[in-house]
Amino acid sequence: MNFDPAQLGYLVPYLVLAVVGMMLVLAEAFYRGSDRTGLASLATGGSVAAFIASVILYRQVGEGSVSILGDALVADKMSYVLSALFSITTAFTSLMSPAHQREHDWQIGEYYGVMLLSASGMVMLAHAASLVTVFLGIETMSIGVYVMTAMRRRSRRGNEAAMKYFLIGAFATGFLMYGMALLYGAAGTTSLAKMSSALAATNNPGLVIAGGFLLVVAFGFKVAAVPFHMWAPDAYEGAPTPVTAFMAAAVKAAAVAAMLRVFGRALGGDVIPFGALGWASPMVVIAAITITIGNISAVRQDNVKRMLAYSSISHAGVLLVGVSAVGLGSPTAQSSVVYYLIAYTFATLGAFACVAYVGSKGRERLLVDDWAGLGAQHPGAALAMVICLLSFGGIPPTGGFFAKFYVFKSAMEVYNGQLLWLVVVGVVNSAISIYYYLRIVTAMYFREATQPIAPTRSTGLLFVLALCPLIVLELGLMPGWWLKIIGQ
Amino acid sequence: MPGSFLLPLLLGLPLLGAILVMCTPKEEATLHRGIGLTFTIATFLVSLAMFRFYNPRPDAAAFQLVFDTEWIPGLGAHFKTGVDGISLFLVILTTLLMPITLLGTGKSIEKHVREFIAAILVLETGMLGAFVALDIFLFYVMWEVMLIPMYLLIGIWGGQRRLYASIKFVIYTMVGSLLMLVAIFYVYVQYGKTTGQYTTDLEKLMTVALTYKAQVYCFGAFALAFLIKVPLFPLHTWLPDAHVEAPTAGSVILAGVMLKFGVYGLYRFAMPLFPHGAQVWAPLIAILAVVGIIYGALVAFAQDDVKKLIAYSSVSHMGFCVLGLFALTAYGVSGSVYAMLSHGLTTGGLFLGVGFLYDRRHTRRLAEYGGVWKKMPIFAGLYLIIVMGSAGLPALSGFIGEFLTIFGTFNAQDTFPQAAPHFLPYPRLLGALAATGVILGAIYLLYMFQKVFFGKLDKEKNGGLKDLNARELTTFIPIVILIFVLGLFPRPILAVMEPATQKFLRDFGHRVAEPDGPPHIYGSLPAAVDASAVKADADLNKAIDEANKVKIQLDKVPAPTGGDE
Repeated sequence: MNFDPAQLGYLVPYLVLAVVGMMLVLAEAFYRGSDRTGLASLATGGSVAAFIASVILYRQVGEGSVSILGDALVADKMSYVLSALFSITTAFTSLMSPAHQREHDWQIGEYYGVMLLSASGMVMLAHAASLVTVFLGIETMSIGVYVMTAMRRRSRRGNEAAMKYFLIGAFATGFLMYGMALLYGAAGTTSLAKMSSALAATNNPGLVIAGGFLLVVAFGFKVAAVPFHMWAPDAYEGAPTPVTAFMAAAVKAAAVAAMLRVFGRALGGDVIPFGALGWASPMVVIAAITITIGNISAVRQDNVKRMLAYSSISHAGVLLVGVSAVGLGSPTAQSSVVYYLIAYTFATLGAFACVAYVGSKGRERLLVDDWAGLGAQHPGAALAMVICLLSFGGIPPTGGFFAKFYVFKSAMEVYNGQLLWLVVVGVVNSAISIYYYLRIVTAMYFREATQPIAPTRSTGLLFVLALCPLIVLELGLMPGWWLKIIGQ
Repeated sequence: MPGSFLLPLLLGLPLLGAILVMCTPKEEATLHRGIGLTFTIATFLVSLAMFRFYNPRPDAAAFQLVFDTEWIPGLGAHFKTGVDGISLFLVILTTLLMPITLLGTGKSIEKHVREFIAAILVLETGMLGAFVALDIFLFYVMWEVMLIPMYLLIGIWGGQRRLYASIKFVIYTMVGSLLMLVAIFYVYVQYGKTTGQYTTDLEKLMTVALTYKAQVYCFGAFALAFLIKVPLFPLHTWLPDAHVEAPTAGSVILAGVMLKFGVYGLYRFAMPLFPHGAQVWAPLIAILAVVGIIYGALVAFAQDDVKKLIAYSSVSHMGFCVLGLFALTAYGVSGSVYAMLSHGLTTGGLFLGVGFLYDRRHTRRLAEYGGVWKKMPIFAGLYLIIVMGSAGLPALSGFIGEFLTIFGTFNAQDTFPQAAPHFLPYPRLLGALAATGVILGAIYLLYMFQKVFFGKLDKEKNGGLKDLNARELTTFIPIVILIFVLGLFPRPILAVMEPATQKFLRDFGHRVAEPDGPPHIYGSLPAAVDASAVKADADLNKAIDEANKVKIQLDKVPAPTGGDE
C-alpha cells in the first residue's frame, strides 16, 4: 500500500470534523460554568467548514473516482454530496442543541466533540471503498451516538434508551463483522470495487450467501428495519431531541450510504443479488414489512417522538427498496436513494427542530394532545412542521413527494418489473402514513389549546426551523438542479 | 403558440394572491377578503381572455394555448399546460365559481380569515393546474395540491364532526390517487423502455400501447382514483360527511369543481392512455353509475339535513356524467361535460343558498323551516330557478346535459358497432333506468323546496328572516343567468366542445382496435409478431432465471485465496 500525502487533500472534510471534534473534547476540560454555547459555535463552525470543503472538493473531483490510501477510501461526487449532507446535518444539530441543553438542563460540553467525531465516522462511510473502512466508519459513528444518547444522565428514560441502543448495536456489530469475514473468505479481498467480480467468480457461493444475509441483518439493525427495529422507538424517545434528530437523519443516512457502497457496488451485479438465495430476496421482504409495520405502529402512537421514530422506520423501508433497486441494476436507483436521503434529512431536522421548539423548561410536550392549538399560537412553527410532515407523507409540492416518486420509479425499472409489488406496498403505505401525519396537523390546527404554549426561544433553533422547510419545498419544486448535482 | 402565456398567468395569479394575503397583518380581515376577491375576479377575467386566443374550428389543434417548458430534466417532466374544448369550459367554471364563493361566504367565516383566503387561493391554483396540465407528473402534483387546502377548509372552518370528515376525505382520496401513482410509474417506465426516452408528457405517453393485461390493471388504478372523486357508488361515502361538515365555501367548491376532476381525469388521462382497459371496465362502471343515479336520488329523498340532501343529489347527478362518458358516443361525451357544467352551477348555487339560510338560522334541518317564501320572496324565486335547473327542467341548464347523456347511452352501440358486446350491456335499459333518475331528482328537489319555502310559517324563529342583501344577490344573479343561458343556447357551447369530443372518440376507436402485443408505439406492430414476441421474451427471462440458479450452488469447500494487502 503506497501512501501519498497529497491524497489527504481529498479527505479534508473528514479531517476537519475529526480535528475539531478532538479540540472540542479537549476544550471542555478548560470550561467553567454551565454555559456551553461557545462550544456549540465552534462545533457549528467546524461542521460548516467541513461542508464548504466538501462542496469545493465536489467541484474539483471530476466525473471519475480517486482511490485514496490504496483501496481503503474513494473520493467521487457521491461521497462529497453525502459528506456535505452529513456535515450540514451536524451543523444544524449543533445549532439546535444549546437551547435544548439550557431548557432541559443537560449542559455537557463533550457532547459537541462526540458529535463531530461521530460525524467524521459518517464521512468515512461516505468515502468507504473497503469492508474495513465500512466497519471503522460504522463503529466510529455508532459509538459516538451511543454516548450522545446517554448524555442526559439524570433521565431514566435516556439511560434506558442508551443501554438498549448500545447493547443491540453491539450485537449488530457482531453480525456485521461475521458477514464481512465470510465475504472476505469468499472474495479474497476487502476492496468493494474488486469484490463484485471476485464474488461472481468465486467457487464458494455458500460463503457469499451467508455473508450477504448477515450483512442484511447487520445493516437492518443499523437502519432500524423491521424486525431489527426494537431499539429505535425507545432510543428516539429517550435521547435528547437534537440527538434524536441527529440519529434519525444523519446516522440513518450514513448507514444507507454504506449500504449503497456495499450492496450496490460490491454485492451488486448480474448474479449475486438475484435468485432465491441472493441477498435481494430477504432485503425486499424486509423492506416490505419495514414499511408496513413502521406505519401501522406509528398510527397508534400518542407521543410525537415515538410517532416520528416509527415513521423513520418506515422511511428506512423505502430506502431499502431503493438499495435493493441499486443492487438489482436499476440505473437511476443510486441517485434516487441519495435524493431521498437529502429530502428525508431536511424534513427530519425540521420536524425535530419543531419538537425541540415546542418543549421548554424541562417540559418536553411530546404528546400529540400537547400540540393542540399550536397553529393559532405559533403559526410559523406549525407551518414549518406541516411542510415537513407533508414531505414525510410524500405529498407534493415537497421534496418527500419527488423523492418517493423517484425511488419507486427506479424500483419499477428493475429487471423485468420484479419490484412492482414492492412499489404497490410502499405506495399503499403512504396512504396509511398520511393518517398519522395529519393527526399532528389536526391537533395543531383544528383543536384549541388548553393552555398557552411557551416555546424554547433560540436563534439557532429558529434558523433551523425556518430553513429546513424552505429547503424541503425547494427540493420538491426544483428537483432538476439537485438531480444534476447528484449526478443522474 | 399565441396566448401561451395565459395559462401560466392563470395559475400564478391565485398563488400570488395567496402569498400576498399571508404577508398582510393578521387582524385586517376586510383587507384579506378584498385581496381574495380581487385576485379571484382577476383570474376570472384572465380566463375569459382565453376565448380571444382559442380557435374552436374543427381543423384547429387539439390542445391550444400550449405552454411547454422543461421542469425536471432528469425525469423528462415538463411544465406543460394547454386546453381543449372541454377543459376550456371547466376552467371557466372554476374561475367563475371562486369569486362567487368568496362573495357568498362574506363574513360568515370569522376566525383565521387570512388563512381561509390563502387556502381558497391555493386551492384555485391546484384546481386550475389539474385542469390544464398536459404532463402527467404536473397533473399528479396539482391533483395532490388540491387535497391539503380542502382538508384544511373542512378541518378548520367546518362543523361539529369536522375532524372525522376531513380525515376521511383525505384518506379516501389518497388511497385512490396513490394506486394511480403506481400506474403512472408503470406507463412512464414502459414508455421509456419502448422508445428509449423517458418523459411524462401526456401526448407522448398516449402514443404507446401497453399490453391488454397491463391496460386493465392500470385503468383500474386510474379509475379508482377518479371514481372516488366523482364519487361513484359505492365509493361515495366520504362525500356526505365532507359536504355536511365543510363550510359553505368548501361545499360549493367541492361540489362545483372538485367532483368534476373524476370525470375529467377519466376523459383526459385514463381512457386515452388505456383504451382497452376502459373497454373492459366500462360495463361495470356504467352499471354502477346507473345504480348511483337511482341510489343517490332515493337516499337524497330520505334526508332531513338539506346539505346532505344536496350531497346525495350530487352522487346522483355525477352518475349521469360517468354514464355519458362511458357511452362513448358523441352525444354521451358532450352531454357528460355539459352536465358537469350545469351541475357545477346549480349545485354550487344550491349550497350557497343553504349557506345563506344557515347564516340566518344556524340549522340545516328541513323540519326547522317552512313558509320561508313569505319572508324571503326574492331568495325563494331565485332558488326555485336553481332547483329547477338542477332537476332538469327544459329550458334550464340541467335538461340539456341529462338529455344528451341519456340519449347518448341509448345509442351506445352506434359509434363502435364492432365492439358492441364489450361496451355497455343493454344500453337501452341503462338509458331508461338513468331516465328514472331525472324523475326522482325532480321529486326530491321539489320536496326539499316545498319543505323549506312553502307551507305555514309556523316556526317562531323564521318570523324574523330577512331577504337577500345586495352581496348575496350579486352571487346568485350570475348563476341564475348562466343557468338560463346554458339551457337556452347550448349550441355555441357544444360547438366548441365538439372537435374535442370527436377527436377523443376517433382516437379511442383507433387505439381500441390495436391488436394485443408487447408495449409498442401505436400502429408499429407487425401483425404476426405479437404472440411469438411475448413468448420469446418470457423464454428469455426464464433462461436468465435458470442461469442464476446454476451459479449459486453450494458445491465447493471454502478456500480463501488471500487478501490484496
